[in-house]
Amino acid sequence: MSSRWSLPARIVRGIVVAFAFLVILAPIVVVIVAAFSPTDFFKFPPPSFSLRWFYEFFRLDNMRSAFLFSIQLALGAATFGALLGTLAAVFVAKRRGIVNGLLQALFMAPLVFPTIILGFALLLFYKSVDMPLTPGLLIAHAVIGMPYCFRTVLASLQSLDPAIEEAGQSLGAGPLRTLALVTMPLIWPAVLTGWLFAFVVSFGELNTALFLTGPGATTLPIEIFSYLQFQGSQLVIAAASTLQVGLIILIVFGVQQVVGLRRIVSR
Amino acid sequence: MRGVTPARLWSLGLVAPPLVTALLFFLGPLIYLFYVSLHEASSTELYGARFTLANYAAVFSDPFYFLIIKRTLATASWILALSLLIGYPVAYVIARLPPAKRMLVMLLLLFPLMVSNVVRAYGWVAILGRRGVINTTLGDLGLIDAPLSLLYSTQAIVIGLLTILLPYIVISIANTLASMDTRYQEAAQSLGAGPVRTFVHVTLPLSAPGVASGLLLVFLLTLSAYVTITLIGGPRTKLLVSLIYDSVVGFQWPQAAALAFVLLALALVVTALILAIMRPGRVQGSGR
Repeated sequence: MSSRWSLPARIVRGIVVAFAFLVILAPIVVVIVAAFSPTDFFKFPPPSFSLRWFYEFFRLDNMRSAFLFSIQLALGAATFGALLGTLAAVFVAKRRGIVNGLLQALFMAPLVFPTIILGFALLLFYKSVDMPLTPGLLIAHAVIGMPYCFRTVLASLQSLDPAIEEAGQSLGAGPLRTLALVTMPLIWPAVLTGWLFAFVVSFGELNTALFLTGPGATTLPIEIFSYLQFQGSQLVIAAASTLQVGLIILIVFGVQQVVGLRRIVSR
Repeated sequence: MRGVTPARLWSLGLVAPPLVTALLFFLGPLIYLFYVSLHEASSTELYGARFTLANYAAVFSDPFYFLIIKRTLATASWILALSLLIGYPVAYVIARLPPAKRMLVMLLLLFPLMVSNVVRAYGWVAILGRRGVINTTLGDLGLIDAPLSLLYSTQAIVIGLLTILLPYIVISIANTLASMDTRYQEAAQSLGAGPVRTFVHVTLPLSAPGVASGLLLVFLLTLSAYVTITLIGGPRTKLLVSLIYDSVVGFQWPQAAALAFVLLALALVVTALILAIMRPGRVQGSGR
C-alpha cells in the first residue's frame, strides 16, 4: 500500500514519525550523555568524558543504599508477584463462567488502577494494623507486578494443547505432578517474561513507593525525586538515572537471551 | 451437589494465595479507604468517630477544588487529543513495516516505558530548564539574553506527559492495525472506494479497539502521574493528584480519601465516555 503515497505525503509521514521518536527518546538520551560530563552543572553536549558523577553516586550513602534497596525490592516483589500470577493463571485458564470472569477482572485490575490511590489505601491499611512499611512495600509491588505474569502465563496456557495435560493425567500423574512435570516446562518462558515486567515495573515504580518508603528504606526513583525537589538538579542525578536505565537494559538483555526478544516485545 | 473432592481442594489451594493477596492488599484497603472518606478528620487517630459527607461536600463547594478538577480535565483532554493525533499516523507507519523491522521499532517504543518516569521527567527538566539544553543553546547562539521559562506550566505538563505516555497508544494502535485482515481494505477498494474513503470507513472503525485501549491507558496514567506533574509543572501548577498527595502528607486523611474517590469517579466517567464513543465491542474479535 505504501506505493500509493505521493511524495509530499511521504515527507509529512516521515517528519511525524521522526518527531515522535525524537520527543520520546531525547529526554533519556540527554540524561545519559550528561551523566558522563566532568562539569559541575548541566552542559550539553559535555566538553569531555568523565566518570566523576558515578564515583560521587557511590560515595553518597543515601544513593548507594537506595540503589541496593531497589534491586532487592524488585527481585523479591517480581518473584513473589510471578508466583501469585502464575497460580492465578493456572486456576483461571481452564474455567469459564461469571465467577471466573470476576476473578480475572480482580487479578488484572492492578494493571490499570491508579497506583497512587492504591499506595494511599495501603498506607492507611498498614497504619491501622501496625504493619511495617518495608514488607508492605514489597507486597504492594508484588500486587502491581502480579497482573503482568498473570497475563503472559494465561496467554501461554490458552495456546497449549489440552491433550498434553490430559495425557499426563491419563498416565497416572496427579494434578501436582502434571503441573510440575508437564505444564511448567511448557509455560516457564511466559513465567520468566512476566517476572521481567514485574521486575522492571517495581524497579521504576513511583506512586506506591511515594507513600510506603521512609528514612533508611527508600527506593532509587524516590531518592532521585526527593533529591531533585530539595537539592536541585546536580549531575549526580544524571548518574543515578543512568544506573536506573543501565540495570534495566542489563536485566532485559539477560532474560532476552533465555526467552528470545520476540516474546518480550509481543508479550 | 458436588462434594469436596481432592481435585477441587487442590485447585482451591492453587487460587488461595493470589486471591487472598488481591482481597487483603488490593480490594480490602480500597473499601477501607472509602470508609475513611466518610468520616471526619481527627488529630490523634486515622479518622474521627463521626460519620459525615463533608469531605465530599467540600470538593464540590470549594471553587479551588473545582478549578483544579477543571484544569486536570483540560490537561488530560489535550494529552489525549495530541497523543491520538501524533500516535495514530506513527502506528499506521509501524504496522506496515515488515515483521522483523516492526519488532525492532516496537522494542524502541517499549524501552522508554521500562525506564522510570522520574528519569524521563528529569530528562525534560534537563531540556527545558533554565540551564537546560534549549536555553543554553539559544544563549550560546546569542538569540536570547535571559533564559526562557519553559517549565512550570500546564503546557509543560502536557508536553512531558504526552511524550512519556505516547508509546502506549502507538503500541496499542499498531498491534491492532498489524493484526487486521487486509482483505477488508482490498474489498473496499475493489468496490471503488479511494484511499481516503477506505481509511475513514474501513480501517479507522476496525482499529477502534486499539484506539480505545490506548486512550484509556494514557488517561488513567495521566491522572496518577504525581511525580511527573510535580517535577515539570512545579510547585504551583497543581492537578487533582497533587491535592491528594498534599492532603496525605498534611495528615488530612479523610479529605485525601474523598479526593481519591473523586479521582476514581472521574476515571470511571471518562472510561465510559471513551468506550461509548469508540464502541470497541462492535469490532469482531476485539476481545483479545
